Amino acid sequence: MMRRLAENGFVKATFETINNMQADGVIANYAIGGAVGATFYLAPAATIDLDVFFIFPADSSGLLVTLAPIYEHLKARGGKVQDEYIVLSGWPVQFLLPSDALESEAIAEAVNTTVEGVPTRVMTAEHLVAIALKTGRAKDYTRILQFLEQGAVDRQKLNRILERHKLSERWKQFETRFLEGGVR
Amino acid sequence: MSKPKLQARLASLSFWEKIKILEKLRDREKAIAASGLRKNVLKQDDNKD
Repeated sequence: MMRRLAENGFVKATFETINNMQADGVIANYAIGGAVGATFYLAPAATIDLDVFFIFPADSSGLLVTLAPIYEHLKARGGKVQDEYIVLSGWPVQFLLPSDALESEAIAEAVNTTVEGVPTRVMTAEHLVAIALKTGRAKDYTRILQFLEQGAVDRQKLNRILERHKLSERWKQFETRFLEGGVR
Repeated sequence: MSKPKLQARLASLSFWEKIKILEKLRDREKAIAASGLRKNVLKQDDNKD
């Protein structure tokens, strides 16, 4: 039987699961990115998954980094592995290690917030935009335009991030392609 | 209400309220996918070509 809409609460339950994983020492720190992270700042837009960027505790780093500790922890608590996702409380969740200094910084500088009393961390708007620019798919560019159109970005802060992570040239290309005569 | 005003109004909701909308949007996507409606539309489009 299909779950009634009013019974939803998947995301909140997933945040609780991630917090428990952090409390148990499986992960050290995390930040919500992607479309769910963007929803903190923008009007909601449909998405199928939840992106969680995280770092392992310092003492667990080795030569071989795998997601196995996370998957084992979550499978023991009802999570189901499905391709690159693990399904928690009905939501496909993708756990992503930072691939560069930009993503590490985005985790470190994430904003603390709560969802109905459940604490969580969301990347700043400027880091979400910078990561979307770096990723560079059509849906990423659409999201950047939404941030700009809805005035959800501090442009000076964004510029500093873009400079620090050598994305200024790519931003210029984005402006030329999408913003000429538009949002500035 | 104009689209920019609606977007601004939606953006000003609390994170929790926006997540509830996100979940409803996802439920709707799943319902459409399960119904086969999208496949039927795609087939009809293919037939037009």
